[in-house]
Amino acid sequence: MSDQQFNPKILGFLCNWCCYAAADAAGISRFQYPPSMRTVRVMCTGRIDPAFVLRGLAEGADGIFSGG
Amino acid sequence: MGKAIHQREGAVMILGGGIAGIQAALDLTELGFYVYLVEKSPAVGGVMAQLDKTFPTNDCAL
Amino acid sequence: MLTNADLLALHGTPGNFTATVNLRPRYIDADACTACGLCTQYCPRHHVDPYNEGLAITRPIHIDYAQAVPATYYIDPSSCLFLQHGTCQICVPVCQSHAINFNQKAEERTLHVGAVILSPGFGKIDPATLARFSYGKHPDVVTAFEFERMTTASGPFQGEIKCFSDGRHPKRIAFLQCVGSRDIGCDNGYCSSVCCMYAIKEALVTKEHDPEVDITIYYMDIRTQGKDFDAARDRAEAIGIKFVRARVADVTPWQNRLQLTYATLDGQHKFEPFDLVVLSVGLESPKDARRIADITKVDLNRYDFCATDSFNPLQTSQPGIVVAGAFQGPKDIPESVTQSSAAASLAAAAMKSARGKGVEVISYPDEQKVGAGEEPRIGVFVCHCGINISSVVDVAQVARYAGDMENVSYFTENLYSCSQDAQEVIKKKIKEHNLNRVVIAACSPRTHEPLFQETLRDAGLNRNLFEMVNIRDQCSWVHAGEPELATLKSRDLVRMAVCKARHIQPLPEQTVPVTPKALVIGAGVAGMTAALNLADQGFDSVLIEKGDSIGGNLRHLHHTLAGEAVQAHLQDLVAKVGASKHIELVCNAELAQTSGFIGNFSSVIVSGKGPDKVEQTVDHGVIIVATGGREHRPDKYLLGKSKKVLTQQELEKQLAGKAKNRAPGSVLMIQCAGSRGDDLQYCSKVCCNHALKNILKIKELNPQAQIIVLYRDMRAYGFAEDAYLQARKMGVVFIPYELDRKPEVTEKGAKVQVRFFDSIMQEEVVMSPDLVALSVGIVPDDTDTLSKLLKLPVTANSFFLEAHVKLRPVEMAVSGVYVCGLAHGPKPVDETIVQAQAAAAKAAIPLVKGYVKVDPIVSSVEQDKCIGCGLCVSLCPYGAIVMHKVDGKRKAETISASCKACGICAAHCPTFAISMGGFTNEQINSQIEAFGDRAQTVKA
Repeated sequence: MSDQQFNPKILGFLCNWCCYAAADAAGISRFQYPPSMRTVRVMCTGRIDPAFVLRGLAEGADGIFSGG
Repeated sequence: MGKAIHQREGAVMILGGGIAGIQAALDLTELGFYVYLVEKSPAVGGVMAQLDKTFPTNDCAL
Repeated sequence: MLTNADLLALHGTPGNFTATVNLRPRYIDADACTACGLCTQYCPRHHVDPYNEGLAITRPIHIDYAQAVPATYYIDPSSCLFLQHGTCQICVPVCQSHAINFNQKAEERTLHVGAVILSPGFGKIDPATLARFSYGKHPDVVTAFEFERMTTASGPFQGEIKCFSDGRHPKRIAFLQCVGSRDIGCDNGYCSSVCCMYAIKEALVTKEHDPEVDITIYYMDIRTQGKDFDAARDRAEAIGIKFVRARVADVTPWQNRLQLTYATLDGQHKFEPFDLVVLSVGLESPKDARRIADITKVDLNRYDFCATDSFNPLQTSQPGIVVAGAFQGPKDIPESVTQSSAAASLAAAAMKSARGKGVEVISYPDEQKVGAGEEPRIGVFVCHCGINISSVVDVAQVARYAGDMENVSYFTENLYSCSQDAQEVIKKKIKEHNLNRVVIAACSPRTHEPLFQETLRDAGLNRNLFEMVNIRDQCSWVHAGEPELATLKSRDLVRMAVCKARHIQPLPEQTVPVTPKALVIGAGVAGMTAALNLADQGFDSVLIEKGDSIGGNLRHLHHTLAGEAVQAHLQDLVAKVGASKHIELVCNAELAQTSGFIGNFSSVIVSGKGPDKVEQTVDHGVIIVATGGREHRPDKYLLGKSKKVLTQQELEKQLAGKAKNRAPGSVLMIQCAGSRGDDLQYCSKVCCNHALKNILKIKELNPQAQIIVLYRDMRAYGFAEDAYLQARKMGVVFIPYELDRKPEVTEKGAKVQVRFFDSIMQEEVVMSPDLVALSVGIVPDDTDTLSKLLKLPVTANSFFLEAHVKLRPVEMAVSGVYVCGLAHGPKPVDETIVQAQAAAAKAAIPLVKGYVKVDPIVSSVEQDKCIGCGLCVSLCPYGAIVMHKVDGKRKAETISASCKACGICAAHCPTFAISMGGFTNEQINSQIEAFGDRAQTVKA
């Protein structure tokens, strides 16, 4: 990783039914995007406890993505 | 839907694998019947698979 | 599932048909093909892509779209070099799984079936009909099907809309409605019933892409009669899409644009230039309709759709053969889905005795016990997916990395984890290494989790002791240019999964037994039909009716638009309900209380009046809501004040009577009286056809009668368009009115006087007809009480709201509750009957099974921690949490059978008392910690 470029570490919470499915669809269409996100699949974004977000930031995430 | 055995009691044939055929097939299997879904093209899905969004909610069709 | 297959012959009788089916070869072994797509990349030949309406080029060897089922490529013989000219075969060595087989031959198969459902869909309008709109002559005239692919983000142009002529972005787009429908020129007299909706949808989508684009829809009538469809039309108008009532005469190329010629209602001729013209083409009967009719001997109607009647809308002329979908008449997705469920219930009823005999029962070995304290022994399998993953991600490195992690007892790589032999390997390794958790890094759990969970069950492990890592769809495929970072991402994801896997626990497979009985609320045509269909399938119902007699609105109707006698059918239904040993009818009855959940409801029904009041408790497994609706009576147009003003229903009664002068000499009808933006916001779908029905009756009784109809859009959808045409041919005058110029009705002595603006003559007109008939719309009967009692959502217009407007049109959000008839929305009798049959199909599913399976990932409440605040109960969208008293303290409890595993309750519980199976706080937190990788994850 180059020092000049900012490569953020992003933690993503994706809803199984929509955003996770959309991420799969992006793959099927071979859309290219930066490999900076690590995902946690949940059954619904309603599952996301604010504490998860805080914990993610505490663990060093530069950003939290919630997709649902 | 398993391997086809030629002699099978309680089977239903559905001609056409669009949204109507698929839904009927799903319901019939749940109701305890074996289904032969006969589709002339190489994949089921019919016209709905070609649609982008659906009216009036603009939900994704796929 | 038999794809690439044609029906050749059908013989026999209901319960015992023999069908001959020809299976054309796909030249690819479906079991071996992994849908990797390499063959398409190597195939040298071009092939016009019919999936994209010919707007894109693919190869003879291809798959229509990535989500196609079966997910197997096929070779189109019409353009394959080998199949046409005996050369090439380049794909054969390219395929790593050796799936390509040019020796495949067509195969004939004989099927023995008890019933047949015809659902061949619809055909497309002949391009010759489109030629007069310059289709085929100018590239910027497209059909709406082509336009759909153009606007699609996953389509050939990624959703960018361009003119084909020179690639510019169109600034002005015209939609031309009724192309190939309502057009006796091409012998398609009927209305295709869907084009208004898809045109509005496509216009809205286009506006979303580019708010600057100018869109005009040229129409005769906007037929958005479906539930809540008018609201979308209003939305379209609000964002600036123009609607012009005009039939476009022709489309002429002019400079680099297209010139439209049309005449407006007031007689003006207009010319307007556009960049792109979209033809809203209708639905035709399927191309092979005649062939299907020849083979199956079912009758077709005059437009080559399958002929049926209003009371048996899906029954073909051949016993044992039913029809569903657009072949029964043009229709939209929810109608098709409803019809198919209804067709399934008819087939199921006809074959009741053979139920369950054709289905195989799968058995699994006993589950190995994995205790909470037992040390995790995790097996990690990393998939190459041919080269789909391994061409980007260093699979070996990822597997080794996993192998270094604590608790990972075994790791390996698989070429194709989903292949049959790989399942055997996984099972063997589970036993060999005594694994009690399995992590597979491969494709998406959305497609493959069930397969691997089956493998775990086969190996004697609980299926929840499994975690999947998506390193294909969400990694190698989307980071193809960055192999190192993709490998790093795969390692991180595997690490997170392994850390989660340490905390996963076996979850019990829960099943809940079902009381095999239905409660049907409302004994109109919907409720009676549903109960009778359930009876035909062998299930008992309790049918409760609020009034003292059954029949509902059918009692007020006398004949259908097609001319069938309503009362005869009603008497038949009532007699059948009375005679059925499966139906217990309770009149003067109301539901007082219901508790329980799908499979196990218990309801208190109060019947009788005053001192004869009786309470009874009924246990039942499902609920069908068929509470109906009634005529709306607006306090307008002198309704109820003048004897000369009647509703269409009252007029129908008068016309069915015996009075000599029952058909008046002059009638003025006002459509949408109190509807569509008045007392009622919505369109009631049936009133236009009700008016047409009465018009034809009046004309039959009194051919001299003068009839004027003031309307907004005549919504004679489907084959009812024929009646509309017939009425016009008989000299009935139809005059559209606008909302800002509604007709006025006043009393003048013994007469009524109607004042309205004639938009054709452009002048104010005053008339004194013998009779004014109002088309008044439909309101639901009290949905409020039941909605509160059963926690059922309703729409803004107080009709019950289905679980999904397209795909689950008769199910409610609350499991085990189904809706049909006017309680769901205004609809004619044939659609009500179909919906009732569909509701019976859905309701029968849990009754047939005898149990309800509960996905173990549902929520559960730890009673010790629960403080009884009730927050979860108020938040749960599915009514799946209840409060009850334990030792005098309020505690929450999940009804597993109703829970959809969304986890809202768990996220909001202030005391962390709620846990989600498979997604516990502990599990998700360990994933988050592994994301940060501060925890000691790797073996010392």
